[in-house]
Amino acid sequence: MKRLNDIIRIAMYECRSILRSLPILLVMGGGIFLYGILYNYMYSPNVLREVPVVVVDESQTPLSRHYIRLLDGTPQVHVQGVIVDMPQARERMKNGKIAGIVFLPEDFETKVGRGEESMVISYNNTMAFLSYAAIKEATSGAMLALDSSVRPSQAVFLNADVVQPVMNTPTISVQGIALYNETGGYATYLIPSVLMVIIFQTMMMVISMRCGKEYEQQMYPLFRVTNQESSWNLATNIVIGKSVVYVGFYALFSVFLLGLLPLLFDLPHLASGMQVVQLLTPYLFGTAFFGLACSPFFKDSDAPLLLIAFFSVGLLFLSGISWPLELMPWPWRLLHCLIPAPVGVLAFVKANSMGADLADISREMILLWGQCIVYFSLACIVYKKSSNQTIFKQAK
Amino acid sequence: MNDLLNVFRRELRRMNSRRIYWVACLVLPLFSLIFMATIFGNGQMKNLPVGVVDADNTSASRHIVRMVDATPELQIAKHYANETEAREAMQKKEIYGYLLIPSKMNSLCYYYHNAMLSVGGELHSTFETILQEVSVTQIVTEAIGLGEGISTITSFLMPVSETESTIYNDTRNYVIYLSQPFFFVFLQILLLLVTTYALGSESKFGTSDEWLQSARGNIGIAVMGKLLPYTFIFIMIGIFANIVFFKWMQIPLPCSLWTINGVTILFICATQALALLLYAIFPALSLIISVVSMVGSLGATLSGVTFPVVFMDTPVYVTSFLFPIHHFMEVVQSLLYLEGTIAYYWINITILLIVCLLPILLLPRLKNILITHRYETIE
Repeated sequence: MKRLNDIIRIAMYECRSILRSLPILLVMGGGIFLYGILYNYMYSPNVLREVPVVVVDESQTPLSRHYIRLLDGTPQVHVQGVIVDMPQARERMKNGKIAGIVFLPEDFETKVGRGEESMVISYNNTMAFLSYAAIKEATSGAMLALDSSVRPSQAVFLNADVVQPVMNTPTISVQGIALYNETGGYATYLIPSVLMVIIFQTMMMVISMRCGKEYEQQMYPLFRVTNQESSWNLATNIVIGKSVVYVGFYALFSVFLLGLLPLLFDLPHLASGMQVVQLLTPYLFGTAFFGLACSPFFKDSDAPLLLIAFFSVGLLFLSGISWPLELMPWPWRLLHCLIPAPVGVLAFVKANSMGADLADISREMILLWGQCIVYFSLACIVYKKSSNQTIFKQAK
Repeated sequence: MNDLLNVFRRELRRMNSRRIYWVACLVLPLFSLIFMATIFGNGQMKNLPVGVVDADNTSASRHIVRMVDATPELQIAKHYANETEAREAMQKKEIYGYLLIPSKMNSLCYYYHNAMLSVGGELHSTFETILQEVSVTQIVTEAIGLGEGISTITSFLMPVSETESTIYNDTRNYVIYLSQPFFFVFLQILLLLVTTYALGSESKFGTSDEWLQSARGNIGIAVMGKLLPYTFIFIMIGIFANIVFFKWMQIPLPCSLWTINGVTILFICATQALALLLYAIFPALSLIISVVSMVGSLGATLSGVTFPVVFMDTPVYVTSFLFPIHHFMEVVQSLLYLEGTIAYYWINITILLIVCLLPILLLPRLKNILITHRYETIE
């Protein structure tokens, strides 16, 4: 009972300190609410539509104009102009006004009229993979449409005795189906991961600011709220008391980030509430323990933020949602397993964007619970040490 | 000049006195350099594990399976007895896609994993290329057997076909695509943080009077002397990174290395100026650090490397002009991808130059803040 009282006292003290600190409230408010909404808003276009291209039409025939109309009709690209001069088109590309050039050679229609294979040449730049993919989809869509409209008239070029068998031979239809994130949207792909990283990063910031502050005050206020004997009991009490507060706050924030935002911005939300809770429990506790275990590095309430803030994008890369884990060199795969954020991101994407159930994310769940255990023990060791030092100093 | 040297030396002493400066100025940039240079391996999506459900199981279907396995991008990890099993493996992310060959083989269907957009895109285009060929094989063989020429039959099937010519990075290598841009995204976050920390720590530790005195009250010299060491270090790191990327790792460079380095130097100065500007607006260390970490992370999005900013809403697009990283990326990427020259991007360069000069307007405010010690109590 006394122990529970101690934990509650530590938790109350931690809670008060958080609510009284303007910078921490700024990190939580700005990082979670502002950033959560801002990110969704920035990526709200989700897919690239009407990517500007120009067509260099040297052919200038009904067939080439038909192709241009088909191309312009695709949702992916917008034909910004039809010109006859390639250098002029390249100039526009260099100015950054267009993302691609489609070239129709002089003999575009003539070749079709002769029964030969005619060519469309697309000059793409790969500056942004998304616009590259959009242009490719559009040009091949337009090409297939043109082919099927031209093909019947091309039968005259086949030998008479071939036409019938060829028409009768079945073609194999090919169909590609995207599983999960069916529209290929960028927001629906990236934002769920970003939200998980925001949770991790802002919690780390809060913890570092709190620990730094305590270091500056030489821990006295913290130890004043407990009975002052250094022991494992005290260390675990502190770790539990603090973590409960952080997890409590972030459980609330998660309702906003992972519960409300996906509904507001039409992000995938396949995981049930129960699943999210099962996933977040080790994630939030793991993050809190990880932060507390890092506390020896937090000796100033501001400087540690330098170390934390800059790595947000790196954590996204480490999670393996953009570049597959299998292809990463092993040291980075190892690092992936050691930090809660990348594992949590992957588990969340699997559960929430792909509809995986608990058994499907067992690898990640085991890792997260493993991290909880390891970092909890580490955090206790760290606090045992610092309580020793503090009490030693006080005695002096 | 003497005063400037004074402040400069004083700053070097400050940097030496605390570990955080060297960690933030050397260790972290080098770490991000190694991180971005190595995380993508060789940058090619090779041997992505995919599955096969072959209900046909004839020599023709096995031929298709072999063709899929032979493409460098894909590797058949497992054969599944039915679609449910394959779907489960997808869910567990054991495979990134699978090919479904029904019995009788009148249609082929491939599924790809789009929750991981880049992998999904790669699978989509690879499968598409292989299977397009497969879909007409039967007709082509039939026609050739009846004595038709191969070119006649293919031009009958595809009267118009498409070739593409990719201008830079034609293998869609991720090292070329992301390593260099994202290293500089990291660097700009760090630079913003370090600069504002260096400025803000003066008030935090109550040394701002001494700082001003060492410049004999001239705020311009005080700020310049203070920031110069960081400018120098970060410029060196930037140039070193360019050498690593373009010389050692041999990312193709159509222009001279010094052009890129020149833009890098301008970018670093502009980023520092932005940090100074933000500090003059939010002059309390504990606030500015959080503000700057948000601004820095936004730079990752607004640089437009992955999702072009032109396609975002107008307010977002306009805002991106305030970020030096946006202009830096615009210029560097065009130099690389479009073989353009700086002349095309004079607007970006001009904006970077203006950003460098903007903080001058706020120097009086900064001095006032330092003298009156306002905002020092914000905790």
